[in-house]
Amino acid sequence: MRIKRVSTIGVAGVGLLGVLALTTGCAADTKASGGGDDKVVLAEPSWVGATANAAVVKKLLEDELDVKVEAKQMDEPVAFDALNSGKADVILEDWHGVPKKQKKYVEEKKTVVSGGDLGVVGHIGWFVPKYYADKHPDILKSYKNLNKHYKDFKTSESGDLGHFIGAAPSYSQHDKELIKNLGLKFKHIPSGAEAAQLKELKRLYDAKKPFLTYWWEPQWMNEKIDLVEVPLPKYTKGCEVPASEAKCGYETNQLEKFMNKDFATGDSKAAEFIKNFHWSTKDQNEVAGMIAGKKMDPEDAAAKWIKDNKSTWEKWIPKD
Amino acid sequence: MSETAEATAAGEHENAHEHGDQAGPAISVRNLWKVFGPKADRIPRDASYAELSQSELRERTGCTAAVRDVSFDVHQGEVFVVMGLSGSGKSTLVRCLTRLIEPTAGSLEFNGEDVIGMGADALRELRRHRASMVFQNFGLLPHRTVVDNVAYGLEIQGMAKAERRERAAEMVAKVGLDGLGERRPGQLSGGQQQRVGLARALAVDPEVLLFDEPFSALDPLIRRDMQEEVIRLHREEGRTMVFITHDLSEALRLGDRIALMRDGEVVQLGTPEEIVANPADDYVRDFVRDVPREQVISVRRAMRPAEGAEAKTGTEVAPDTLVSTAIETVARTGEHCRVVEDGRLLGVVDHASLLIVVAGLDKDADPEDAAPEDGTEREVAAV
Amino acid sequence: MSSPTLTKGEAANPAPSSKEPAEAPQEAAPPSALARFLGNPKTLALLVAALVVVVSALVTGDGTWPRSLTADVESPLNDLDNWLVDNRDSHWIFLYFLLHISNFAQAAYDTLLSLLESMSYVGVIVVGTLIAWAAGGADRSRRALRTGGTALAVFVVCGALDVWEPTMETLALMIVSIILSALLGALLGLASGVSDRFEKILRPVFDTMQVMPAFAYLLPLVLMFDIGVPSALIATVIYAAPPMARLTSLGLRQADPTALEAATSLGADSRQRLLTARLPLARKQMMLGLNQTIMMCLSMVVLASLIGAGGLGSEVYEALGALKIGDALVAGVAVVLLAVLLDRTTAAAGERLDDVATTSFSRAAAQLRLAVWGGIAALTAVFAAVGTAVAGDEWPENWVVDFTNSIDTAVNWFTDHLGSGIPLLGGTITWAEGFTEIVLNPLRNGLQTTPWWALALLVAVIGWIVGTWRAALTGVVCLALIGWMRLWDVAMDTLSQVLAGLVLTVVVGVLVGVLCARVERVDKIMRPVLDTMQTMPQFVYLIPVIALVGQNRTGGILAAVVYAAPAVIRITAQGLRHVDPAAMEASNSLGATGMQQLFGVQLPLARKSILVALNQGVVLVLSMVVIAGLIGGGALGYMVVRGLSKGDLSQGFPAGIAIVCLGIMLDRLSQPAAKRSRD
Repeated sequence: MRIKRVSTIGVAGVGLLGVLALTTGCAADTKASGGGDDKVVLAEPSWVGATANAAVVKKLLEDELDVKVEAKQMDEPVAFDALNSGKADVILEDWHGVPKKQKKYVEEKKTVVSGGDLGVVGHIGWFVPKYYADKHPDILKSYKNLNKHYKDFKTSESGDLGHFIGAAPSYSQHDKELIKNLGLKFKHIPSGAEAAQLKELKRLYDAKKPFLTYWWEPQWMNEKIDLVEVPLPKYTKGCEVPASEAKCGYETNQLEKFMNKDFATGDSKAAEFIKNFHWSTKDQNEVAGMIAGKKMDPEDAAAKWIKDNKSTWEKWIPKD
Repeated sequence: MSETAEATAAGEHENAHEHGDQAGPAISVRNLWKVFGPKADRIPRDASYAELSQSELRERTGCTAAVRDVSFDVHQGEVFVVMGLSGSGKSTLVRCLTRLIEPTAGSLEFNGEDVIGMGADALRELRRHRASMVFQNFGLLPHRTVVDNVAYGLEIQGMAKAERRERAAEMVAKVGLDGLGERRPGQLSGGQQQRVGLARALAVDPEVLLFDEPFSALDPLIRRDMQEEVIRLHREEGRTMVFITHDLSEALRLGDRIALMRDGEVVQLGTPEEIVANPADDYVRDFVRDVPREQVISVRRAMRPAEGAEAKTGTEVAPDTLVSTAIETVARTGEHCRVVEDGRLLGVVDHASLLIVVAGLDKDADPEDAAPEDGTEREVAAV
Repeated sequence: MSSPTLTKGEAANPAPSSKEPAEAPQEAAPPSALARFLGNPKTLALLVAALVVVVSALVTGDGTWPRSLTADVESPLNDLDNWLVDNRDSHWIFLYFLLHISNFAQAAYDTLLSLLESMSYVGVIVVGTLIAWAAGGADRSRRALRTGGTALAVFVVCGALDVWEPTMETLALMIVSIILSALLGALLGLASGVSDRFEKILRPVFDTMQVMPAFAYLLPLVLMFDIGVPSALIATVIYAAPPMARLTSLGLRQADPTALEAATSLGADSRQRLLTARLPLARKQMMLGLNQTIMMCLSMVVLASLIGAGGLGSEVYEALGALKIGDALVAGVAVVLLAVLLDRTTAAAGERLDDVATTSFSRAAAQLRLAVWGGIAALTAVFAAVGTAVAGDEWPENWVVDFTNSIDTAVNWFTDHLGSGIPLLGGTITWAEGFTEIVLNPLRNGLQTTPWWALALLVAVIGWIVGTWRAALTGVVCLALIGWMRLWDVAMDTLSQVLAGLVLTVVVGVLVGVLCARVERVDKIMRPVLDTMQTMPQFVYLIPVIALVGQNRTGGILAAVVYAAPAVIRITAQGLRHVDPAAMEASNSLGATGMQQLFGVQLPLARKSILVALNQGVVLVLSMVVIAGLIGGGALGYMVVRGLSKGDLSQGFPAGIAIVCLGIMLDRLSQPAAKRSRD
């Protein structure tokens, strides 16, 4: 009979839930609050450099300081919210891509504090493949020469204009406005995601096609493809604000760490380690290259780097 | 309601009264209407609509009168058949009896108790204990066993589980499904399923059983079995039954009286014999044309006054002997039969008079009343 | 019941009489298609509208929505955004309501996950297999063994692919969200199944939910609940509950009317009728609803990871960031396997419900089942207590097989050669460019240069023809809303892509569907392929799509076609297969050839299911607009992506609404025809 069977299942279910509650009852409330316990939550944006940061920090924290670490996938805007609420403790590499949130949390609410520079220098600009620049060296002189060659960059998407491969939406950018303000005969076509942009560049590069793209450093794919920069008008502070009137290139960016305030002031060894964490673009590219280029597991890549660079990371370990 | 019809019915079933101590009819229906459509209740009130045919009415008002000004009584213990083609309103009518469909107008009594005015609770009581229904498509619950289906009505009444299962098991046995109690409806044949439906209706021991074309979905052979089952049950228990069918032979087999419906109206109401022998109008006549008349009509209708010596000779037969039986007797003995009731000679039947019945020539002898088109309940006087 | 319809020979028509007699003549077989075509005033109206569109587009050459009819929706959204961030920690609505929801969701997930973890892999495999076996009947029947075997295989493969940990995270999230979706859906379905008023209120909500891209409401959720499991859980529930609700409601409304009437006739009150008859009668549909809900939950795995859910979704997303197709595919396969596991288990449980109707009741079996479930509970407890001690808490490393690099190589080889390596024909990249230039660009230009009023007229006329004035009105209102939000041009761009994708989907879907229906072998090959296509997270095939056709609108359309075609293929094949066998026999007996049979009998008779397929296509293609935005589709999809990734309500939300508007419009323009056929 049905009612009976349902109650049977019901009984089983209640039993199961009871067991559940018994065995794990206490686990629930400690976890919900994120930063409160001894586990450190890293906000890990989706690019490979960030994975490299996180992998090395995680490995060192776990092996050297015996701290549990969880790296959570989240992009900058989300990461700032998470730092604010304590769902994440630290973001290791911020490109200053969300000034609005940064202002709100760091300056106004003071729930997020800077953790110092990462050491890696971020650079954004417009790039063309080297094989193209070799044929048309004038393009490396000034952005103005782009208009001479825009026909080379035409695609079915851009119609009569040249195709400019824009950045993924979460990245700092004002290319669309820049193209308009500099009077370039290009159409800004944004990438939907970093992965999409990378794959597209790879495809075009392999086919030796000309392209003009938003590109940046550090970026692991620089080991695989050779891009050269088209100079843009020099950056001066505030020249890109508001974006609709921007006529300049990008700021060279000291990538910064941000931490949840409670975590940062909590006087833990982990927090101190993260404040100390500081490495070079070359270091990061080495790890990122292993992960993305050689398809190594991030953990293995981090272990390999740690093995080879003891002198670098020894300085990060807080002394007692 | 005609005195005669009532008298006949009551006379036939005096022995069958079990439920009704009351002398009155089990169900009494007066001027019942069911109209579907917008502002339905204006239709019964306004006499001018009464003239309209069904299609005119729909055209004029957008309404459909499924039951139109119907009146009849169902006597205690009788099998009352409502017959008509699909769309004649018979199914709506039977649902109106327990207000499964709310009637638009008219009055309705169950053993003298007003049904129309009943509140929700009283109505539920009526449905739980006094009238239960058997449906064309069975309406069984596929997830329950046969016993639990049969016990369903009792469960709704709130009877304890053990008691209702025991009671249901009895009913299962009664309808001949012994040993199938733990099956599910999906494992049963159509006929068996309808037996479950019948058992379910019987389980609550109702005063009245309502059948809505219960055997239409069954094969002819099984249908016949089921009809016999109903006849047997009726003989054993004498429960009042209202039986809806579109099958004339079924109506003739089962019905003590038959109400013939067309377009929501009762065209003719009478015993099977009355209907066959004396169709109220062309519609009914058309309907009964192919009925083997000798198997329905009694010698009372075929006899003529005795002439001379005839009163002294010939086999004696009762007046309700069927013509077919009389034919057999006449053919065997080679002479006429005398129709005798309580030792009193009513008349005689011979080859000629019996053949007139078989040939259907007798109706011409009957002075035909002009059938009133509005078709209010029309009584056919016994000859 | 034979009540209202009496006169004509309608008894022959199995369809329940429609309340609108006006519809009947339309169904009549046409004497000559052309004659009817021209004689129909509606067709005339369509021709006129089309003419107006063409002429006005040529004359004015500008389709911009008038500035005066717009409103600034960004500022208030910005204000809301700011308000949410400022008050998230202090306002009562958060403290006393949303926070509780959020904490409950988190606690449920954490509890379940730590249970799974504490049981260790051995415990999970044993208990999971047992549960599947018990759901399949807990006996030695083929079904029970098969279900249990499937579970065992799924768990082992997930472990062997080295995704055990994320699989457990995803499994925990899925179980919680399936339970919540099913509960919520059942409750809503109950309400709308029982009450007509609820039905009236909820139906448009469900309709909207169906065409609403999940991306559009991720952002508001993140703002309300912050990132993390609660947001992901709630997004999943919002997305997955409607099918359960719909089917529950449908089941309740379709419950055998005679059985219900029988219950009433026995004096059941409304509560008794619901509990003892109506709900049990609806259980089959509810089971179907549960099944769909599970599938929808799983299709949210990757999206949920965008807002912090972790698990397999994160694996997929992360792997894609490094262009590791192999890793992404492996994680995607794990998602598919989980889908298979949950689908088979619930399907087996559902089949058993069916059995109940045809097998005898046995007390012993019931007791056995009770014992089995009790045993499972006990075993769970034992494993939870000692599992990690016995087996260690991680999947052993040497039990892992690594396919990822070989998959990468294979996919790369494949895409490289198809992309440009095909001799003579060029390759997919050339074709894609051609498609963009010949189809997409003219279509987009056409839509963008057509004056808005002409387009509105066309939509109104189409709506009127296929449905009622209401469909027409809805379509026009949707268009107006898009214009009002200043998104007209962008929306036209999206519309052009959706239309192109839709045509491709329907063409491909119907062709393959016909093949499947007619050639047994094709059907056998296609079935698992379709299953996988439908459950594989769309993200997994985005990167190969770029490799094949480049990052552009065609790529987005290709992805949409891949995603939407399976449903169209299925519905078409089913429609063709279910064509009245008598009609097929008749045409056979007249000596029709296969082709004659297809075009003369099968396709015309399956017209209705093809219309349903069209409607499904609309919904599915539209739901890919946002995903297409990720790989170069641009337009509205990109705006939603940008809004989400920048955490900016004022950018993402209006675009999301615009997508919903387009969806409702297209749905209405394709649905009425489909709906009539469902009657």
